[in-house]
Amino acid sequence: MTTSAPSNAKANATVIADPVSADAPVDREELEQIFDDISSHPRYDHELNGCLNCGICTATCPSAHYYDYSPREIVQLLWTENLEGIHDAMQEKIWACAQCYTCAARCPFGNSPGGLVMVMREVAIKHGMESAKEVLRPFSRVMLKVMSTGNQLAPNMITPDHFPDWGPNISKVEAPLNILRKAIPMPTLHTLETAWAVNLKTSIELYTIWEDSGVLDQLETMDENLFDVVVDIMDEKREDYEDWLEEQDDDDDDDDDD
Amino acid sequence: MSNSGEKFTGHGEEWRDAKLSAQDAATATSWVELKIDKRAMLTNKDRVEDVRDAMWELEKDGEIIVHRVGDQHEPVMAKTLYGWDKKIPTNQLWHHKSCGQCGNIPGYPASLLWLMNQTGTRYLDETDQTSCTAWNYHGSGIGNIVSLAAVFLRNFHQAYVSAQAEGLDPGYYYPLVHCGTSFGNYKEIRHFLMHSAELREQVRKILAKLDRLIDGKLLIPEEIVHYSEWLHVMRQRIAAKQQIDASSLRVTIHPACHVYKMVPEDVIYDDDVLDGNRVAVSTGIMQEMGTQVIDYSTWYDCCGFGFRHIISEREFTRSFAIDRKIKVAVEEAHADVMVGHDTGCITTLDKNQWIGKAVGKDYALPVMADCQMAALLCGAHPYKIVQLHWHASPFEGLMEKLGIDWQTAKAEFEAYLEDVAEGKIETLYDPKRAITSGEGYQR
Repeated sequence: MTTSAPSNAKANATVIADPVSADAPVDREELEQIFDDISSHPRYDHELNGCLNCGICTATCPSAHYYDYSPREIVQLLWTENLEGIHDAMQEKIWACAQCYTCAARCPFGNSPGGLVMVMREVAIKHGMESAKEVLRPFSRVMLKVMSTGNQLAPNMITPDHFPDWGPNISKVEAPLNILRKAIPMPTLHTLETAWAVNLKTSIELYTIWEDSGVLDQLETMDENLFDVVVDIMDEKREDYEDWLEEQDDDDDDDDDD
Repeated sequence: MSNSGEKFTGHGEEWRDAKLSAQDAATATSWVELKIDKRAMLTNKDRVEDVRDAMWELEKDGEIIVHRVGDQHEPVMAKTLYGWDKKIPTNQLWHHKSCGQCGNIPGYPASLLWLMNQTGTRYLDETDQTSCTAWNYHGSGIGNIVSLAAVFLRNFHQAYVSAQAEGLDPGYYYPLVHCGTSFGNYKEIRHFLMHSAELREQVRKILAKLDRLIDGKLLIPEEIVHYSEWLHVMRQRIAAKQQIDASSLRVTIHPACHVYKMVPEDVIYDDDVLDGNRVAVSTGIMQEMGTQVIDYSTWYDCCGFGFRHIISEREFTRSFAIDRKIKVAVEEAHADVMVGHDTGCITTLDKNQWIGKAVGKDYALPVMADCQMAALLCGAHPYKIVQLHWHASPFEGLMEKLGIDWQTAKAEFEAYLEDVAEGKIETLYDPKRAITSGEGYQR
């Protein structure tokens, strides 16, 4: 269990300092708030049931092959409520997880270390951790696409400039991208800006979900510039939709007059 | 705090090498491998429940409405991990597309729809749908259970009402999920929805604003169905259309983590496929079509996609994909092809091979989805339908092994592109059916 914060916590706050790091020490109150946010997350009790430290999760983890990352460590830190260790793991380690859920499939206790990592990522974002901002910066192009259109990926995002390690040719048949897309026998896929043609009304509905579920707030915390761009696009598309609705009303009126 | 000063780390300073001899290490590893590749590893657990029990209770209590797989969907029963029944609809299907497939490997969904045309399956492919947004969630942490649940139920509500655009009853079409991550995510979120009244209320409020409730209630699907499950239960009917002998083909299967490790109790296992020890989809249809499915030691490994890693830490993705999957499939299994059933895996395993040449790892293994391979064997055009030109891995040798004249097919496709430029486009269905509301909708 976490200890409750003393009444004059600010004045007497315990600080945890790393003797070999120049980073500012982390306030104990902040550490406790982070753990409270993690342990009160609706996923938490579902994902953590106990741990015997058997390590079968780490033995099978793809990220453990390449990073200083261990799902066993994540579970142990949370199970033992090691606040300093949790904070430390949230700086870098949680972003190494590949989210494959092999750990969850194999854990004899039915824990989901991958699910716990997601809880910790959400909390890192809620607290606006600089490390999370740094890690997510290269992800912003994808984030812009999914938030403004509802599609995560678009054909015109896949270029040799952006994916030089995928080889010189995106298509082995040379032709303009718009022609190649129209040669796909599914009419919904004759697009460049989105993976499939998305109905304008559909995008508008998605914006309401972003707003009412707190996702836009998350984005604002992490990247104010990207947030501004997304909000501008949302406003523009909503206006387009309103204009279209008005046109329909006008058409209906004309029909009535006829 | 009782644990002040106590540290638990993964590979920290307190870690000690067990110093096993090479033989003892091999013995220990083989024991683990014998266990972990078996079904018992997944089933030997407490706290397992069939979430559909909770779903029926909630419907009885008047809290939700269940979108049923009805007789009109011509279901085929399959058995899941614990031997439970799962109803797989085989007709009147609403295609819930995958952003990665449609954006990057479009022959994947095109092959699936082509197979449906061959088998007389009625379907709807429409524009009123979004991605599940779970790729973004797993990669960035932006998103949450409420947003994922609202996106899930908005899309599935649209599947339910979509047939009204064609003058048919709600529920006529049943959603078929193309992406493995969407499939895993939706099942995970359905579990949370069934167990949290608070989450249901949060989502209900949002969907009420969108007019996406049925009689004021959340609409929950009876089954969440992945396209590979449709392919599996249709495998005999598809094999009956086979035109090309594939008996010389050595196939390795890459099973997708979000298909069978996430909510594993809902995944199909078939006693006739790999002795029921491994997930049956993909392997089942490849066996039915007469290929040789070859086992390999890293079958259980993920592909290295990583959600965030494929975008911003690609050195991890390509190292894992090449060293743990492609290299093993080539050197150990002597595979002609790797077949999978998920967006991210096909992308990762296919696209990341080219860079291997830089470090002498030129394995050149063709990679494609199960429905693409099935369509090829049923005579689908390799470029016009299967759209293999978007694949980075070399597939020409595979075509030759199957007796497919890819050079002629390529020339046909290039000629077709000239028709396309003039607006003469061939499609798998009437394009006007794709828009069910809003701008461009025609009754």
